[in-house]
Amino acid sequence: MTSPSLDALRHAVPSDIEREPHDYAIDGVLPRVAFRPGDRREVADLLHAADQHGLVVVPQGARTSLELGRPLGQYDVALSLLGLDRIVEYVPEDLTITVEAGLTLRHLQEELAARGQYLPVDPPPHDRVTVGGLLATARAGAWRGYLPAARDLVLGATAALPDGTLPKSGGRVVKNVSGYDLHRLHAGALGALGVIVEASFKLAPLPPATRLLALRARDERSAARLARDLWDSHLAARSVALLAPAAASHSGLHREPYVLLELAGVEAAVERSVEEARALAGRAGAQVEATEGEPWRRLRALAGESGATVLRMGVPATSLPELVGAAARAGCLAWGYPAAGSVIAHAEAGLDPAAVRALREQAQRHGGFLQVEAASTELRRQVDPFEHGDAEALRALKQQFDPRGTLNRGRWMEGV
Amino acid sequence: MPTNAPTPSALVRDLQAALGERHVLWAPEDLLVYEYDASIDRARPDVAVFPGDAEETAAVVRIANLHDVPVVPRGSGTGFAGGAIAVRGGVLIVTTRMNRILQVDAENRLAVVEPGVINLALQQAVAPHGLLYAPDPSSQRICSLGGNIANNSGGPHTLAHGSTVNHVLGVEVVLPDGRITWLGGRQLDAPGVDLRGLFVGSEGTLGIATKICLRLMRQQEAVQTMLAIFDSVEAASAAVSAVIRRGVVPVALEMLDQEIIRIVEPQIHAGYPLDAGAVLLIEVEGLRESVAIEAEAAIDACREQGAREVRTAESAPERERLWEGRKAGIGAVGAASPAFYLLDGVVPRTKLPQTMQAVQEASARYGLRCANIFHAGDGNLHPTVMFDPDDPDAVRRVLELGGEIMRLCVQAGGSLTGEHGIGLEKRSYMEWIFSPEDLDAMGRVRAAFGGEERFNPCKVLPSGHGCGTGHATEIRHHLATPGVYV
Ligand SMILES: Cc1cc2nc3c(=O)[nH]c(=O)nc-3n(C[C@H](O)[C@H](O)[C@H](O)COP(=O)(O)OP(=O)(O)OC[C@H]3O[C@@H](n4cnc5c(N)ncnc54)[C@H](O)[C@@H]3O)c2cc1C
Ligand SMILES: Cc1cc2nc3c(=O)[nH]c(=O)nc-3n(C[C@H](O)[C@H](O)[C@H](O)COP(=O)(O)OP(=O)(O)OC[C@H]3O[C@@H](n4cnc5c(N)ncnc54)[C@H](O)[C@@H]3O)c2cc1C
Repeated sequence: MTSPSLDALRHAVPSDIEREPHDYAIDGVLPRVAFRPGDRREVADLLHAADQHGLVVVPQGARTSLELGRPLGQYDVALSLLGLDRIVEYVPEDLTITVEAGLTLRHLQEELAARGQYLPVDPPPHDRVTVGGLLATARAGAWRGYLPAARDLVLGATAALPDGTLPKSGGRVVKNVSGYDLHRLHAGALGALGVIVEASFKLAPLPPATRLLALRARDERSAARLARDLWDSHLAARSVALLAPAAASHSGLHREPYVLLELAGVEAAVERSVEEARALAGRAGAQVEATEGEPWRRLRALAGESGATVLRMGVPATSLPELVGAAARAGCLAWGYPAAGSVIAHAEAGLDPAAVRALREQAQRHGGFLQVEAASTELRRQVDPFEHGDAEALRALKQQFDPRGTLNRGRWMEGV
Repeated sequence: MPTNAPTPSALVRDLQAALGERHVLWAPEDLLVYEYDASIDRARPDVAVFPGDAEETAAVVRIANLHDVPVVPRGSGTGFAGGAIAVRGGVLIVTTRMNRILQVDAENRLAVVEPGVINLALQQAVAPHGLLYAPDPSSQRICSLGGNIANNSGGPHTLAHGSTVNHVLGVEVVLPDGRITWLGGRQLDAPGVDLRGLFVGSEGTLGIATKICLRLMRQQEAVQTMLAIFDSVEAASAAVSAVIRRGVVPVALEMLDQEIIRIVEPQIHAGYPLDAGAVLLIEVEGLRESVAIEAEAAIDACREQGAREVRTAESAPERERLWEGRKAGIGAVGAASPAFYLLDGVVPRTKLPQTMQAVQEASARYGLRCANIFHAGDGNLHPTVMFDPDDPDAVRRVLELGGEIMRLCVQAGGSLTGEHGIGLEKRSYMEWIFSPEDLDAMGRVRAAFGGEERFNPCKVLPSGHGCGTGHATEIRHHLATPGVYV
């Protein structure tokens, strides 16, 4: 790197020493420099300096999801958000909190739990993930459908742009329709339209009681039926999952089709739900097995394993069993969440592009989609990890917010 | 035919050719009703059109572009922020003909509708399946789902279930250049940048929704509705926080003050006591067991804050009666006063007691009657100021009071609008909560979608030329001292 551009970057981040690029590899590629700014002004100044010198910046939090998206064509500057980890304002009586983007979800949940509250998003595979990464990837898991996702809970945010500005949108109150919701635009944008530095969220009281049940079904058809019946019943449920046999076995259960049920609520409601779930399982000829949550932990870990190929399909609940089956036949560990309409497929040894395309086509035939959550760079070059909604609108937005392609260039599509 | 009958302009002729003469209104007397919505502002479009589908809508947009005139989407015209007012004339695209429910997929809990479908019509179509569409604005008997999408509308049940945006899976949109596209899809969390989430709440400035895919929810097993009666607004406000403090988030938590009770009760007979200082309408929902426990916690919290009495609806008709008073409240004000100005502001719920007190003091200072009927659980205020439109000084005082109440909300750390939108009404106040940098970024969104000058001009953002709509706007500009409250 030429020294004038490096000087400009150094100058932008006075509070930080340069970091070791080796710690910031993405897809085996090292950045030329790495910084961890201490406040939002430095983030904006760093972006601005990079923008001026034609350098590509990749914002990153806990670095658990940097393989989501197309491989980057160029990677000059690693921008770690871990230096921005403060709780800006927490008002328990309002059930709202404002935090910096580099705060880890674990830290946040610990603070909230001390007041009997939580951010009601599914625990991600790794609890060191940052709030910024959570929003930028907008992923959801087992609780989705029963509970909202991060994108539904964000009340407002501030993001740094490559022109050095720090625009905010939304606010800190739970209901607000003032102006355009840029914070919703950043949710799921993978940092391509701005670097989130601060966000406000709506919170929920922690449920007083939770319970986990693993239901071993007779066959795949009755497992699918049982999952559906549980979803249709009045239960204090937080999650229902349908597991193909291999996924079950990998989660420490028998190699049979399973339905996992997670209950949460007031004790009496949870207790009755357990009884009703037992009755439904009984009618379906399924065995109720005691569990301490290990299968859930293992499934989550699988969903977030970056060495493997991980796919997520969104399909109507009625097509979910079919896609779980199809993914299993393709050699994946497969499971689905009917309430979220999502199917996860995990292939330790990777998948060939034709298999991914076939699953995508099948999902699309049901009006759904397939997203590649993690895979080798090769696979991500051969198969578009996403399917773009409106590519033209996305290009136009990128042109407005990051005309030189300074932020995560090429993540979404050529140049974007 | 008299020779001096007006002849249609070239614009009108092009629109007639595209839609048929029946679906194009251009005579001034036919356009009268399209000058208004539920706000104070008014302006006449040059022509109002009623396309039947997305293709016709796109054709209209392209014709308007060719003639270089503004386009303004309109649903039922019940918006309070002037969003559907054709400030600079042009073509008003009215969605009333696009009123079909295209699909109710009960098994997958979703519905596909056209934008002109009335909110309540969808509710009625899905109820037999044991399903509901959660956003329930009080105007649900008349407002369109397209308008709900545009304004990201809320309702009493937003407290638990979130605003409209949380229930929209995808939208088919005609963009300002006439292109038709889908944002989002039929599933939650579609891949990619969330253009769906950006579009919802954009107040008809980024395009026109022509089809909407909505998420439906299952009706709950049990519900309990309570009426907590207080001697003062302050006590009722304090009870709101007390309920939340107990770890209970009701599905609805609404307040009515004495002024509105005295207007509503004689008309609706909902059973609200006329001598109460304020009442809270509290609803909890879920499994029988949790409803029982949460209801008890809510009742305790109200008693602790000095509730005189807490009544529980014992039957469905009783429950509906309690709600009828709430839902018909604004209509009742209309029947009781020749004119009223309904405000929409938000404060953190912990700031409700002090804000409500300040609102009452300010109304008294301006010598205006102000009734309050609002979503207390969300901190979403709706001070409703009654006035005599024939009193020459009244409009000025009303608008000044409105500006003052907005400032109170902003100073309390709140927002300019919780559900009615910025529209035309609050453009001038945007600078109270957003810096020039913030507004510039929002402007870029508009630029990315194109048609900044022509697509629903003069709405949401404070810039724009030739946007004056006379008296009301002038007063608001005068009230808005930029930068002071950021
Ligand atoms: C295969 C896989 C599956 C997963 N599935 C789920 C799931 O189902 N549910 C779930 O909750 N979690 C899931 N996760 C984890 C989830 O992605 C993380 O919660 C989070 O997205 C990553 O946080 P991070 O701090 O590690 O972000 P990083 O990995 O550091 O960054 C992720 C992306 O966000 C961008 N980014 C990071 N910070 C910012 C910021 N401040 N502003 C703008 N852009 C930023 C990065 O450039 C990058 O593109 C999964 C992870 C993996 C690897
Ligand atoms: C008595 C009464 C009670 C009310 N109660 C509530 C309430 O509880 N909660 C609440 O949130 N609001 C409430 N409102 C306000 C109003 O009903 C809502 O804002 C409603 O969503 C507006 O719908 P509409 O069809 O009347 O839209 P309109 O007033 O016709 O238009 C509103 C905005 O939407 C745009 N628009 C309309 N259709 C489309 C489309 N298809 N595509 C893109 N843009 C479009 C217009 O350009 C305009 O900016 C109430 C109004 C009244 C009169």
